[in-house]
Amino acid sequence: MIELSTTAPTFTLQDHLGRSFASADLEGKRHLMLLFYPLDFTPT
Amino acid sequence: MPALDAQQARLEAAHTVAVGISVDSTFCHGAWAEQLGGISMPLLADFAPKGAVAEAFGLFLSEPGITDRATVIIDAAGTVRFVASVGPGGKRDIEALVAECEAIDADFDAELPGPTAAAPGLPADATMYVRDGCMFSRWALYARKNLGLDLPVRNISTDEAAKADLVAVGGKAQAPCLVVDGKALYESKDIIDLLTARTAKPLVP
Repeated sequence: MIELSTTAPTFTLQDHLGRSFASADLEGKRHLMLLFYPLDFTPT
Repeated sequence: MPALDAQQARLEAAHTVAVGISVDSTFCHGAWAEQLGGISMPLLADFAPKGAVAEAFGLFLSEPGITDRATVIIDAAGTVRFVASVGPGGKRDIEALVAECEAIDADFDAELPGPTAAAPGLPADATMYVRDGCMFSRWALYARKNLGLDLPVRNISTDEAAKADLVAVGGKAQAPCLVVDGKALYESKDIIDLLTARTAKPLVP
């Protein structure tokens, strides 16, 4: 598990609407909460 | 995910973007979001290579080939401020996580931009044409539901008048098709991109 107070890796992925999401675009604008989960069709 | 979707206003006030990530594909995400009745939170496909982003955060469980159920909060300077796992079968405390985002925002020094501007919306006469047994029509319908749109749908497989109206505007009895501003879009990707650009809040302010 990544350690606190370290710099997070940046990444670019597609969302469920086919939009490209680049984590670096949020810098200086928004905090980012990543909710990792095992598989679709499971509870949150 | 729906429990968190309901907290969008609090997250926005806390200058926080929340996203779901799993190793499922974009299309699987689209289908799940549709079954949930639509979701405004982006579901990201950590799909190719499978689990690469989870691996970068040390959260990929290679034996079952899935991602741990874990939450990471990164502040606007790119620093990891919160990490917690409840295990693959566990359940997150959404209320506590939103409160964590609010605390991180309150503690953050720099001034962040205000709320994201609303999208322009669709004209009242926009119409989606679909047909039965068509994967591309299904994708267009997923997007419509995922975006929570009250957009009229006409099925050219069962409705001859709809088929005639479609041919009159677009020249082809081919579906899916989105008729908007007097123009006919026949490619599902173009349809989804236009609907998203016109109706969804941008992912980044």
